[in-house]
Amino acid sequence: MQKSKKIVILGHFGVGKTSLIRRFVNDSFSDNYKVTIGVHITKKIVEVRADESISLIIWDLEGTDEVRMIRDAYLLGSHGVVFVFDVSRPSTFQGLSQDLEIVAGKTQGIPLIVVGNKIDLVINDELQSLLKENDIEANYLTSAKTGDAVNEMFTYLATILNDLS
Amino acid sequence: MSGMSEKDRLEILKDILFTDDREDIDKIADRIEFLEQAYNDREKFAKRVDPIIENRLDEFTKKMPHTLGPTITATLKKEIQNHKDEVVDALYPVLGKMVKKYVAQEIKVLSEKIDNQLSFISAWKRRIRAFFGGSKEKELLLRDLASEKIEQVLLIERDSGLLKASFSRTDTIDEEMISGMLTAIKTFVEDAFHQKNQDLELIEYELYNIHIQSFVNYYVAVVISGSYSLKTKNRVQDIIFNFYHNFMEMNLDLIYTSRHLEHPVDTLSSSLIEKKLAEYFGNAKI
Repeated sequence: MQKSKKIVILGHFGVGKTSLIRRFVNDSFSDNYKVTIGVHITKKIVEVRADESISLIIWDLEGTDEVRMIRDAYLLGSHGVVFVFDVSRPSTFQGLSQDLEIVAGKTQGIPLIVVGNKIDLVINDELQSLLKENDIEANYLTSAKTGDAVNEMFTYLATILNDLS
Repeated sequence: MSGMSEKDRLEILKDILFTDDREDIDKIADRIEFLEQAYNDREKFAKRVDPIIENRLDEFTKKMPHTLGPTITATLKKEIQNHKDEVVDALYPVLGKMVKKYVAQEIKVLSEKIDNQLSFISAWKRRIRAFFGGSKEKELLLRDLASEKIEQVLLIERDSGLLKASFSRTDTIDEEMISGMLTAIKTFVEDAFHQKNQDLELIEYELYNIHIQSFVNYYVAVVISGSYSLKTKNRVQDIIFNFYHNFMEMNLDLIYTSRHLEHPVDTLSSSLIEKKLAEYFGNAKI
């Protein structure tokens, strides 16, 4: 059996978490139940090196503006976290450092990737100054719409997890 | 006396003064000789020592709960506290089996009483269903008795929801995703009702039932087709407990060791577990 790792995708409402996953994974499951139990699970096998691949089990958690309210039980046993914010909506990144602190506290030392999504909605110069002004260090700037950096981001995380195990 | 030397006089004086002591010394010498004989003669020695040891042992046994009891209790408490998961995992199948069998026995008695009361009603109910539904009573009876079958077994890591091993009779959609969703549903239900110590045990859908048995680090989900009765539940639980007790439990020390290493080593190969799952569940009659 292939090596499998659980990763969770977190972030505020409407930052594009599910769209990022859809862009990355050819989803066959309906995500209707995400409304019911607050989570949607998908899987993608990622080739991290030649002849070496890893199975990512992606838990897409329902967005919440109050990161503290995320169900701890859904984070149990996670190997990696992706925290997504929307570069076009300041309310999703204004409290980023506090949000990340809470997430780090809940996930205890596992790799955490910070992703600014929807870069197609802002001009690059504006984006850079926005990040600088708000003192944000995002690991990846992505666009689920155009596919910019989406695969790279997930592959990077998969590689880290593979190397850690 | 005048012809005696000073030395002779001293000897006479010693005789007078130490007469009693000499007698004592002779007695001691005799005693030592007796003890030497007793010591060298195993039988004689045993005859004298055994009653003393037996007496002491009796005393020790009687006093043990008071003298060593607190120390043993404290040590056990500490060990259990430090290795809670391992203790629970080791005891779970045994205790679960005992409790289950007791409860099952009680339910069986109750069930038999109810069955006696209801068999008459069921027969009439079936006849009415046959009359209005257009099916033959015989068909309905057969449907009621539809045999149950294990379709799929998943051994899932409890926290992460990652699939450890599986056994399946038919091809289904991705088992890793099923494991993840089952874990999410299970987590949601258990979390929503704030019942940390209670586990979701059954999911029903149409003709299938998913029986879930939780352990400390893993849980087993068994997909069953056909009717799911108390008897089926008991039988499935027995198979799960046997599998866990005979196969998984003996590897617990390995799991424990690997979990506490800096770079955990997965000592249970999935292919081996899958072989065992097929062995335990594949031909099981429920």
